[in-house]
Amino acid sequence: MAAADGLPATLRRRDLCSRGIRLAGKMRSDVVDLLDTYVEWQGLDPSASVAAVEGVPVAAVEHWDEQTGTQRLLENLAAYRAFRALLTQMLEEQREQLDEADTALGRALAAVLLQVSAFAYHLEELLRLECRGPPSEEVAGPSPTAHLSLFERKLRGLGVLRELAQWAVRSARDLRQLAKPSPGSSLPPGPAESP
Amino acid sequence: DSHIQYERVGADVTMKCGSMDWDAAVTWTANGTDIDPSHLNGSYLILKNVDLTQSGQYSCYEGSSWRLKYQTYLRVGMPPKEPVLMCRSNNYPKGFYCSWHLPTPTYIPNFFNISVIHGTREMVCEKDAFPKNRCHIRYVQLFSTVKYKVTLTVTNALGKNSTTFTFDEFTIVKPDPPESVVAKPVPNNPRRLEVSWQNPSSWPDPESFPLKFFLRYRPLILDQWQHVELSDGTSHTITDAYAGKEYIIQVAAKDNDIGTWSDWSVAVHATPWTEEPKHLTTEAQITETTSASTSSFMPPPTTKICDKGAVVGSGAVAVCWTAGLVVAAYGVLFI
Repeated sequence: MAAADGLPATLRRRDLCSRGIRLAGKMRSDVVDLLDTYVEWQGLDPSASVAAVEGVPVAAVEHWDEQTGTQRLLENLAAYRAFRALLTQMLEEQREQLDEADTALGRALAAVLLQVSAFAYHLEELLRLECRGPPSEEVAGPSPTAHLSLFERKLRGLGVLRELAQWAVRSARDLRQLAKPSPGSSLPPGPAESP
Repeated sequence: DSHIQYERVGADVTMKCGSMDWDAAVTWTANGTDIDPSHLNGSYLILKNVDLTQSGQYSCYEGSSWRLKYQTYLRVGMPPKEPVLMCRSNNYPKGFYCSWHLPTPTYIPNFFNISVIHGTREMVCEKDAFPKNRCHIRYVQLFSTVKYKVTLTVTNALGKNSTTFTFDEFTIVKPDPPESVVAKPVPNNPRRLEVSWQNPSSWPDPESFPLKFFLRYRPLILDQWQHVELSDGTSHTITDAYAGKEYIIQVAAKDNDIGTWSDWSVAVHATPWTEEPKHLTTEAQITETTSASTSSFMPPPTTKICDKGAVVGSGAVAVCWTAGLVVAAYGVLFI
Protein backbone atom coordinates (compact mmCIF):
# COMPACT_ATOMS: atom_id res chain seq x y z
CA MET A 1 0.00 0.00 0.00
CA ALA A 2 1.43 3.36 -0.91
CA ALA A 3 1.21 6.37 1.35
CA ALA A 4 -0.16 9.71 0.22
CA ASP A 5 3.13 10.82 -1.38
CA GLY A 6 3.41 7.60 -3.41
CA LEU A 7 6.15 6.03 -1.28
CA PRO A 8 5.53 2.52 0.00
CA ALA A 9 4.18 2.65 3.54
CA THR A 10 7.18 0.90 5.08
CA LEU A 11 9.62 3.31 3.47
CA ARG A 12 7.50 6.27 4.45
CA ARG A 13 7.37 4.99 8.03
CA ARG A 14 11.11 4.52 8.13
CA ASP A 15 11.62 7.99 6.70
CA LEU A 16 9.25 9.56 9.23
CA CYS A 17 10.94 7.67 12.07
CA SER A 18 14.41 8.84 10.97
CA ARG A 19 13.29 12.42 10.70
CA GLY A 20 11.46 12.14 13.99
CA ILE A 21 14.57 10.82 15.71
CA ARG A 22 16.57 13.77 14.44
CA LEU A 23 13.84 16.18 15.49
CA ALA A 24 13.69 14.62 18.96
CA GLY A 25 17.47 14.89 19.28
CA LYS A 26 17.46 18.57 18.33
CA MET A 27 14.49 19.21 20.60
CA ARG A 28 16.24 17.61 23.54
CA SER A 29 19.37 19.64 22.99
CA ASP A 30 17.31 22.85 22.84
CA VAL A 31 15.27 21.90 25.92
CA VAL A 32 18.47 21.27 27.90
CA ASP A 33 19.71 24.76 26.87
CA LEU A 34 16.29 26.20 27.69
CA LEU A 35 16.47 24.62 31.15
CA ASP A 36 19.73 26.46 31.82
CA THR A 37 18.22 29.72 30.61
CA TYR A 38 15.02 29.16 32.58
CA VAL A 39 16.81 28.40 35.83
CA GLU A 40 18.95 31.50 35.43
CA TRP A 41 16.07 33.81 34.53
CA GLN A 42 13.83 32.54 37.27
CA GLY A 43 16.56 32.60 39.93
CA LEU A 44 16.13 28.92 40.74
CA ASP A 45 18.57 26.37 42.10
CA PRO A 46 19.30 23.98 39.21
CA SER A 47 19.30 21.01 41.58
CA ALA A 48 15.94 21.92 43.15
CA SER A 49 13.61 18.95 43.52
CA VAL A 50 10.23 19.37 41.97
CA ALA A 51 7.35 17.15 42.96
CA ALA A 52 5.20 15.66 40.23
CA VAL A 53 3.27 18.48 38.61
CA GLU A 54 -0.41 18.04 37.90
CA GLY A 55 -1.17 17.87 34.23
CA VAL A 56 2.41 17.30 33.12
CA PRO A 57 2.78 14.03 31.20
CA VAL A 58 5.30 11.80 32.94
CA ALA A 59 7.86 10.16 30.69
CA ALA A 60 8.63 7.37 33.17
CA VAL A 61 7.23 4.06 32.01
CA GLU A 62 7.39 0.45 33.13
CA HIS A 63 7.84 -2.44 30.71
CA TRP A 64 8.89 0.04 28.03
CA ASP A 65 10.35 -2.70 25.87
CA GLU A 66 7.00 -4.51 25.77
CA GLN A 67 5.00 -1.60 24.34
CA THR A 68 3.51 -1.92 20.89
CA GLY A 69 4.22 0.63 18.19
CA THR A 70 0.71 2.06 18.47
CA GLN A 71 1.01 2.48 22.23
CA ARG A 72 4.27 4.32 21.76
CA LEU A 73 2.80 6.68 19.20
CA LEU A 74 -0.38 7.37 21.16
CA GLU A 75 1.47 8.04 24.42
CA ASN A 76 3.95 10.29 22.67
CA LEU A 77 1.23 12.22 20.88
CA ALA A 78 -0.78 12.75 24.06
CA ALA A 79 2.37 13.98 25.79
CA TYR A 80 3.43 16.46 23.11
CA ARG A 81 -0.09 17.84 22.75
CA ALA A 82 -0.04 18.44 26.50
CA PHE A 83 3.40 20.06 26.31
CA ARG A 84 2.23 22.29 23.51
CA ALA A 85 -0.50 23.67 25.78
CA LEU A 86 1.80 23.86 28.82
CA LEU A 87 4.53 25.73 26.97
CA THR A 88 1.96 28.14 25.54
CA GLN A 89 0.76 28.77 29.07
CA MET A 90 4.35 29.27 30.30
CA LEU A 91 5.05 31.71 27.49
CA GLU A 92 2.01 33.80 28.37
CA GLU A 93 2.89 33.77 32.06
CA GLN A 94 6.44 34.75 31.33
CA ARG A 95 5.29 37.68 29.19
CA GLU A 96 2.86 38.81 31.91
CA GLN A 97 5.48 38.40 34.62
CA LEU A 98 8.09 40.45 32.82
CA ASP A 99 5.62 42.71 31.04
CA GLU A 100 7.70 42.23 27.99
CA ALA A 101 6.99 40.36 24.80
CA ASP A 102 10.54 39.73 23.70
CA THR A 103 13.13 38.29 26.05
CA ALA A 104 15.79 35.66 25.58
CA LEU A 105 13.72 33.27 27.68
CA GLY A 106 10.61 34.07 25.68
CA ARG A 107 12.39 33.43 22.41
CA ALA A 108 13.82 30.16 23.69
CA LEU A 109 10.41 29.05 24.94
CA ALA A 110 8.82 29.94 21.63
CA ALA A 111 11.45 28.02 19.69
CA VAL A 112 10.91 24.89 21.75
CA LEU A 113 7.14 25.30 21.47
CA LEU A 114 7.52 25.31 17.70
CA GLN A 115 9.53 22.10 17.81
CA VAL A 116 7.02 20.46 20.12
CA SER A 117 4.20 21.39 17.73
CA ALA A 118 6.18 20.06 14.78
CA PHE A 119 6.90 16.83 16.60
CA ALA A 120 3.23 16.39 17.50
CA TYR A 121 2.34 16.82 13.84
CA HIS A 122 5.03 14.28 12.93
CA LEU A 123 3.48 11.78 15.32
CA GLU A 124 0.07 12.39 13.80
CA GLU A 125 1.53 11.55 10.39
CA LEU A 126 2.94 8.30 11.73
CA LEU A 127 -0.41 7.38 13.22
CA ARG A 128 -2.15 8.14 9.94
CA LEU A 129 0.27 5.77 8.27
CA GLU A 130 -0.96 3.07 10.60
CA CYS A 131 -4.43 3.71 9.17
CA ARG A 132 -5.51 4.41 12.70
CA GLY A 133 -5.46 8.16 12.49
CA PRO A 134 -4.59 10.36 15.43
CA PRO A 135 -7.18 10.69 18.18
CA SER A 136 -8.95 14.03 18.33
CA GLU A 137 -7.41 16.52 20.66
CA GLU A 138 -8.96 16.94 24.10
CA VAL A 139 -10.70 20.27 24.64
CA ALA A 140 -9.53 20.83 28.22
CA GLY A 141 -6.26 22.75 28.42
CA PRO A 142 -3.63 22.67 31.12
CA SER A 143 -4.55 23.27 34.76
CA PRO A 144 -4.98 26.92 35.59
CA THR A 145 -2.15 28.46 37.59
CA ALA A 146 -3.75 31.68 38.79
CA HIS A 147 -4.00 30.32 42.31
CA LEU A 148 -0.29 29.50 42.44
CA SER A 149 2.26 31.89 43.84
CA LEU A 150 4.96 33.23 41.54
CA PHE A 151 7.51 30.85 43.06
CA GLU A 152 5.18 27.88 42.65
CA ARG A 153 4.65 28.79 39.00
CA LYS A 154 8.39 28.99 38.46
CA LEU A 155 8.87 25.55 40.02
CA ARG A 156 6.03 24.20 37.94
CA GLY A 157 7.74 25.51 34.82
CA LEU A 158 10.94 23.77 35.88
CA GLY A 159 9.01 20.52 36.25
CA VAL A 160 7.48 20.95 32.79
CA LEU A 161 10.83 21.46 31.12
CA ARG A 162 12.53 18.62 32.95
CA GLU A 163 9.79 16.22 31.99
CA LEU A 164 9.92 17.45 28.39
CA ALA A 165 13.66 16.74 28.30
CA GLN A 166 12.96 13.16 29.42
CA TRP A 167 10.25 12.79 26.81
CA ALA A 168 12.60 13.93 24.06
CA VAL A 169 14.99 11.11 24.98
CA ARG A 170 12.16 8.60 25.27
CA SER A 171 10.67 9.65 21.93
CA ALA A 172 13.93 9.04 20.09
CA ARG A 173 14.07 5.56 21.61
CA ASP A 174 10.40 4.92 20.82
CA LEU A 175 10.91 5.89 17.19
CA ARG A 176 13.97 3.65 16.91
CA GLN A 177 11.87 0.77 18.21
CA LEU A 178 9.19 1.66 15.71
CA ALA A 179 11.68 1.81 12.85
CA LYS A 180 12.86 -1.73 13.56
CA PRO A 181 11.26 -4.44 11.49
CA SER A 182 10.02 -5.84 14.77
CA PRO A 183 7.67 -8.56 15.92
CA GLY A 184 6.77 -6.29 18.86
CA SER A 185 5.12 -3.66 16.68
CA SER A 186 1.36 -3.61 16.53
CA LEU A 187 1.59 -2.69 12.85
CA PRO A 188 0.37 -5.54 10.70
CA PRO A 189 2.97 -7.07 8.40
CA GLY A 190 3.19 -4.71 5.44
CA PRO A 191 1.82 -5.80 2.11
CA ALA A 192 4.34 -6.28 -0.67
CA GLU A 193 5.77 -2.93 -1.64
CA SER A 194 4.31 -1.49 -4.78
CA PRO A 195 6.69 -1.28 -7.72
CA ASP B 1 36.13 -20.98 76.98
CA SER B 2 37.38 -19.44 73.84
CA HIS B 3 36.00 -16.47 71.93
CA ILE B 4 36.97 -13.53 69.72
CA GLN B 5 37.63 -10.12 71.14
CA TYR B 6 37.81 -7.02 68.94
CA GLU B 7 39.74 -3.98 70.08
CA ARG B 8 40.56 -0.69 68.44
CA VAL B 9 44.15 0.21 67.55
CA GLY B 10 45.56 2.32 70.37
CA ALA B 11 43.14 1.04 72.99
CA ASP B 12 44.18 -0.29 76.41
CA VAL B 13 42.99 -3.88 76.85
CA THR B 14 42.46 -5.76 80.10
CA MET B 15 41.93 -9.52 79.95
CA LYS B 16 40.62 -11.46 82.88
CA CYS B 17 41.59 -15.07 83.34
CA GLY B 18 38.04 -16.39 83.20
CA SER B 19 36.62 -16.84 86.68
CA MET B 20 40.01 -16.87 88.41
CA ASP B 21 40.42 -14.47 91.34
CA TRP B 22 42.54 -11.39 90.87
CA ASP B 23 45.23 -12.71 93.16
CA ALA B 24 45.40 -16.20 91.58
CA ALA B 25 48.73 -17.32 90.19
CA VAL B 26 48.42 -17.57 86.41
CA THR B 27 50.52 -17.62 83.31
CA TRP B 28 49.48 -15.87 80.12
CA THR B 29 50.67 -16.78 76.67
CA ALA B 30 50.34 -15.02 73.35
CA ASN B 31 50.36 -17.39 70.37
CA GLY B 32 52.00 -20.01 72.61
CA THR B 33 54.75 -17.74 73.94
CA ASP B 34 54.82 -16.82 77.62
CA ILE B 35 54.00 -13.20 78.33
CA ASP B 36 56.34 -11.35 80.66
CA PRO B 37 54.76 -10.97 84.13
CA SER B 38 55.39 -7.20 83.94
CA HIS B 39 52.25 -7.06 81.77
CA LEU B 40 50.14 -8.57 84.55
CA ASN B 41 48.14 -6.83 87.23
CA GLY B 42 47.41 -9.74 89.54
CA SER B 43 45.90 -12.34 87.23
CA TYR B 44 44.75 -9.73 84.72
CA LEU B 45 46.67 -9.22 81.53
CA ILE B 46 47.09 -5.52 80.65
CA LEU B 47 47.94 -4.54 77.10
CA LYS B 48 48.41 -0.81 76.64
CA ASN B 49 48.02 1.04 73.36
CA VAL B 50 47.52 -2.13 71.31
CA ASP B 51 48.68 -2.31 67.73
CA LEU B 52 47.97 -4.64 64.83
CA THR B 53 50.93 -6.92 65.66
CA GLN B 54 49.30 -7.83 68.94
CA SER B 55 46.44 -9.67 67.28
CA GLY B 56 46.56 -13.34 68.14
CA GLN B 57 45.54 -16.05 70.52
CA TYR B 58 45.83 -15.27 74.23
CA SER B 59 45.62 -18.08 76.77
CA CYS B 60 45.60 -18.10 80.53
CA TYR B 61 46.81 -21.10 82.55
CA GLU B 62 46.39 -21.79 86.23
CA GLY B 63 49.77 -21.39 87.95
CA SER B 64 50.47 -24.80 89.41
CA SER B 65 48.34 -27.16 87.34
CA TRP B 66 48.82 -25.47 83.96
CA ARG B 67 45.19 -26.03 83.28
CA LEU B 68 43.80 -23.79 80.57
CA LYS B 69 41.39 -21.42 82.27
CA TYR B 70 40.66 -18.92 79.55
CA GLN B 71 41.39 -18.37 75.89
CA THR B 72 40.53 -15.56 73.55
CA TYR B 73 41.44 -14.51 70.04
CA LEU B 74 42.31 -10.82 70.06
CA ARG B 75 41.65 -9.01 66.79
CA VAL B 76 43.04 -5.49 66.73
CA GLY B 77 41.46 -3.30 64.10
CA MET B 78 39.61 -0.09 63.33
CA PRO B 79 36.06 1.06 62.89
CA PRO B 80 35.17 1.64 59.23
CA LYS B 81 35.73 4.99 57.57
CA GLU B 82 33.10 6.34 55.20
CA PRO B 83 32.91 3.83 52.33
CA VAL B 84 33.40 4.81 48.70
CA LEU B 85 30.34 3.99 46.61
CA MET B 86 29.82 4.19 42.87
CA CYS B 87 26.92 3.18 40.64
CA ARG B 88 26.99 2.76 36.91
CA SER B 89 24.90 1.46 34.07
CA ASN B 90 27.02 -0.23 31.43
CA ASN B 91 24.09 -2.22 30.09
CA TYR B 92 21.39 0.43 29.72
CA PRO B 93 18.43 0.07 29.64
CA LYS B 94 18.61 -3.27 31.47
CA GLY B 95 19.86 -2.03 34.82
CA PHE B 96 22.77 -0.72 36.80
CA TYR B 97 25.27 -1.91 39.37
CA CYS B 98 26.76 -0.37 42.47
CA SER B 99 30.16 -1.22 43.85
CA TRP B 100 32.00 -0.08 46.92
CA HIS B 101 35.17 -0.29 48.94
CA LEU B 102 36.67 1.10 52.09
CA PRO B 103 39.30 3.82 51.69
CA THR B 104 41.46 2.22 54.39
CA PRO B 105 41.45 -1.35 55.73
CA THR B 106 39.94 -2.15 59.11
CA TYR B 107 41.82 -5.44 59.56
CA ILE B 108 38.69 -7.07 60.96
CA PRO B 109 35.59 -8.45 59.22
CA ASN B 110 33.13 -5.91 57.79
CA PHE B 111 29.53 -6.31 56.78
CA PHE B 112 27.89 -4.23 54.08
CA ASN B 113 24.25 -3.43 53.65
CA ILE B 114 22.91 -1.54 50.66
CA SER B 115 19.51 0.03 50.15
CA VAL B 116 18.18 1.50 46.92
CA ILE B 117 15.17 3.77 46.91
CA HIS B 118 13.46 5.19 43.86
CA GLY B 119 10.75 7.61 44.89
CA THR B 120 8.70 5.63 47.35
CA ARG B 121 9.79 2.27 46.04
CA GLU B 122 12.50 0.26 47.75
CA MET B 123 14.40 -1.86 45.26
CA VAL B 124 16.42 -4.99 45.87
CA CYS B 125 20.06 -4.84 44.86
CA GLU B 126 21.14 -8.40 44.20
CA LYS B 127 24.62 -9.16 45.38
CA ASP B 128 27.03 -10.41 42.75
CA ALA B 129 28.88 -13.65 43.45
CA PHE B 130 32.01 -11.95 42.17
CA PRO B 131 33.23 -9.42 42.95
CA LYS B 132 31.76 -9.53 46.42
CA ASN B 133 31.54 -5.79 46.85
CA ARG B 134 29.03 -5.31 44.09
CA CYS B 135 25.31 -5.68 43.50
CA HIS B 136 23.02 -5.07 40.55
CA ILE B 137 19.49 -3.81 39.98
CA ARG B 138 17.14 -4.18 37.07
CA TYR B 139 15.40 -1.02 35.98
CA VAL B 140 11.69 -1.20 36.62
CA GLN B 141 10.99 2.21 35.10
CA LEU B 142 12.76 4.03 32.33
CA PHE B 143 12.90 7.76 31.54
CA SER B 144 12.10 8.74 35.11
CA THR B 145 12.99 12.17 36.52
CA VAL B 146 12.81 10.76 40.04
CA LYS B 147 16.26 10.29 41.47
CA TYR B 148 17.67 7.04 42.83
CA LYS B 149 19.03 7.10 46.35
CA VAL B 150 21.55 4.43 47.26
CA THR B 151 22.71 4.12 50.84
CA LEU B 152 25.57 1.85 51.80
CA THR B 153 26.19 1.02 55.46
CA VAL B 154 29.31 -0.78 56.61
CA THR B 155 29.46 -2.27 60.07
CA ASN B 156 32.12 -4.08 62.05
CA ALA B 157 32.63 -4.96 65.69
CA LEU B 158 34.17 -1.56 66.37
CA GLY B 159 31.75 0.77 64.64
CA LYS B 160 29.64 1.74 61.70
CA ASN B 161 29.69 4.18 58.83
CA SER B 162 27.61 4.92 55.78
CA THR B 163 27.41 6.92 52.61
CA THR B 164 24.60 7.92 50.26
CA PHE B 165 24.71 8.46 46.52
CA THR B 166 21.79 10.14 44.77
CA PHE B 167 21.61 10.21 41.00
CA ASP B 168 19.42 10.47 37.92
CA GLU B 169 18.83 7.49 35.67
CA PHE B 170 20.70 9.10 32.78
CA THR B 171 23.80 10.37 34.55
CA ILE B 172 25.23 6.99 35.51
CA VAL B 173 25.04 5.52 32.01
CA LYS B 174 28.59 4.72 30.94
CA PRO B 175 29.22 1.93 28.45
CA ASP B 176 32.21 -0.39 28.58
CA PRO B 177 34.95 0.45 26.06
CA PRO B 178 34.60 -0.73 22.46
CA GLU B 179 35.98 -4.21 21.78
CA SER B 180 38.06 -5.87 19.12
CA VAL B 181 39.71 -2.67 17.95
CA VAL B 182 41.74 -3.39 14.83
CA ALA B 183 43.91 -0.97 12.88
CA LYS B 184 45.35 -1.90 9.50
CA PRO B 185 47.38 -0.12 6.85
CA VAL B 186 45.64 0.59 3.56
CA PRO B 187 47.57 -0.86 0.61
CA ASN B 188 49.13 1.75 -1.65
CA ASN B 189 48.12 4.54 0.73
CA PRO B 190 51.03 5.75 2.80
CA ARG B 191 48.95 8.15 4.90
CA ARG B 192 45.95 6.00 5.74
CA LEU B 193 45.04 3.61 8.47
CA GLU B 194 41.77 1.73 8.59
CA VAL B 195 40.35 1.32 12.07
CA SER B 196 37.42 -0.87 13.03
CA TRP B 197 35.88 -1.94 16.30
CA GLN B 198 32.80 -3.51 17.83
CA ASN B 199 30.18 -2.35 20.29
CA PRO B 200 30.95 -3.52 23.84
CA SER B 201 29.32 -6.92 24.30
CA SER B 202 27.74 -5.73 27.57
CA TRP B 203 25.62 -3.13 25.70
CA PRO B 204 22.41 -5.06 25.15
CA ASP B 205 20.59 -3.23 22.35
CA PRO B 206 22.77 -1.03 20.16
CA GLU B 207 20.01 -0.78 17.57
CA SER B 208 17.54 0.99 19.84
CA PHE B 209 20.23 2.58 22.01
CA PRO B 210 22.96 3.37 19.52
CA LEU B 211 26.41 4.36 20.64
CA LYS B 212 28.59 7.08 19.28
CA PHE B 213 32.36 6.84 19.32
CA PHE B 214 35.44 8.91 19.93
CA LEU B 215 38.64 7.86 18.28
CA ARG B 216 42.05 9.18 19.26
CA TYR B 217 45.35 8.50 17.55
CA ARG B 218 48.92 9.75 17.54
CA PRO B 219 52.29 8.62 16.25
CA LEU B 220 54.36 7.03 19.01
CA ILE B 221 56.96 9.73 18.61
CA LEU B 222 54.53 12.54 19.49
CA ASP B 223 52.54 13.25 22.64
CA GLN B 224 49.59 15.08 21.15
CA TRP B 225 46.48 13.12 20.20
CA GLN B 226 44.24 13.73 17.25
CA HIS B 227 40.54 13.22 17.96
CA VAL B 228 37.59 12.27 15.81
CA GLU B 229 34.00 11.95 16.98
CA LEU B 230 31.86 9.52 15.01
CA SER B 231 28.10 9.49 15.34
CA ASP B 232 27.54 6.16 13.62
CA GLY B 233 29.34 3.17 12.25
CA THR B 234 32.09 1.11 13.80
CA SER B 235 34.93 1.98 11.49
CA HIS B 236 36.93 4.97 10.39
CA THR B 237 39.78 5.65 8.02
CA ILE B 238 42.52 7.93 9.25
CA THR B 239 43.75 9.89 6.23
CA ASP B 240 46.40 12.16 7.70
CA ALA B 241 48.84 9.70 9.22
CA TYR B 242 52.53 10.45 8.90
CA ALA B 243 54.05 8.09 6.38
CA GLY B 244 56.06 5.27 7.86
CA LYS B 245 55.36 6.16 11.49
CA GLU B 246 53.92 3.73 13.98
CA TYR B 247 50.62 4.90 15.46
CA ILE B 248 48.78 4.18 18.67
CA ILE B 249 44.99 4.22 18.42
CA GLN B 250 42.16 4.00 20.95
CA VAL B 251 38.37 4.25 20.83
CA ALA B 252 35.75 5.24 23.44
CA ALA B 253 31.96 4.90 23.35
CA LYS B 254 28.97 6.80 24.68
CA ASP B 255 25.22 6.43 24.37
CA ASN B 256 24.05 8.73 21.61
CA ASP B 257 21.84 10.77 23.93
CA ILE B 258 22.71 10.30 27.59
CA GLY B 259 25.44 9.53 30.09
CA THR B 260 29.21 9.76 29.85
CA TRP B 261 32.03 8.41 27.73
CA SER B 262 33.45 4.98 28.39
CA ASP B 263 37.07 4.47 29.33
CA TRP B 264 39.43 4.20 26.37
CA SER B 265 39.70 0.84 24.68
CA VAL B 266 42.83 -1.25 24.72
CA ALA B 267 45.38 0.54 22.53
CA VAL B 268 46.30 -0.89 19.14
CA HIS B 269 49.34 -0.08 17.06
CA ALA B 270 49.65 0.18 13.32
CA THR B 271 51.96 1.68 10.73
CA PRO B 272 50.69 3.01 7.38
CA TRP B 273 51.60 1.13 4.22
CA THR B 274 54.97 1.93 2.76
CA GLU B 275 56.23 1.09 -0.72
CA GLU B 276 58.71 -1.78 -0.77
CA PRO B 277 62.03 -1.00 -2.47
CA LYS B 278 62.09 -2.39 -6.08
CA HIS B 279 64.59 -5.25 -6.73
CA LEU B 280 67.34 -4.46 -9.32
CA THR B 281 68.53 -7.40 -11.54
CA THR B 282 72.35 -7.64 -11.24
CA GLU B 283 74.88 -9.17 -13.72
CA ALA B 284 75.54 -11.96 -11.25
CA GLN B 285 71.88 -12.91 -11.24
CA ILE B 286 71.80 -13.05 -15.08
CA THR B 287 75.01 -15.22 -15.17
CA GLU B 288 73.63 -17.61 -12.59
CA THR B 289 70.38 -17.94 -14.46
CA THR B 290 71.92 -18.69 -17.87
CA SER B 291 74.51 -21.27 -16.63
CA ALA B 292 71.73 -23.20 -14.91
CA SER B 293 69.94 -23.39 -18.23
CA THR B 294 72.74 -25.22 -20.23
CA SER B 295 71.73 -28.82 -19.53
CA SER B 296 68.02 -28.53 -20.23
CA PHE B 297 67.17 -25.18 -21.55
CA MET B 298 64.09 -23.48 -20.29
CA PRO B 299 63.49 -19.80 -20.70
CA PRO B 300 63.90 -18.38 -17.24
CA PRO B 301 60.82 -16.83 -15.66
CA THR B 302 60.76 -13.09 -16.23
CA THR B 303 58.26 -12.34 -13.40
CA LYS B 304 59.78 -9.03 -12.40
CA ILE B 305 59.55 -7.61 -15.85
CA CYS B 306 56.30 -9.29 -16.75
CA ASP B 307 54.55 -9.06 -13.37
CA LYS B 308 50.85 -9.63 -14.00
CA GLY B 309 49.97 -6.77 -11.72
CA ALA B 310 52.04 -4.37 -13.70
CA VAL B 311 51.00 -5.64 -17.09
CA VAL B 312 48.33 -3.67 -18.79
CA GLY B 313 47.35 -4.21 -22.37
CA SER B 314 49.09 -5.95 -25.31
CA GLY B 315 52.05 -3.57 -25.35
CA ALA B 316 53.33 -4.99 -22.11
CA VAL B 317 52.75 -8.54 -23.35
CA ALA B 318 55.06 -7.78 -26.32
CA VAL B 319 57.73 -6.62 -23.85
CA CYS B 320 57.46 -9.95 -22.04
CA TRP B 321 57.98 -11.95 -25.22
CA THR B 322 60.92 -9.81 -26.25
CA ALA B 323 62.63 -10.27 -22.88
CA GLY B 324 62.11 -14.02 -23.12
CA LEU B 325 63.73 -14.16 -26.58
CA VAL B 326 66.75 -12.18 -25.44
CA VAL B 327 67.39 -14.52 -22.55
CA ALA B 328 66.80 -17.56 -24.76
CA ALA B 329 69.46 -16.22 -27.12
CA TYR B 330 71.92 -16.00 -24.24
CA GLY B 331 71.11 -19.60 -23.36
CA VAL B 332 71.84 -20.81 -26.90
CA LEU B 333 75.25 -19.06 -26.88
CA PHE B 334 76.37 -21.00 -23.83
CA ILE B 335 75.22 -24.50 -24.81
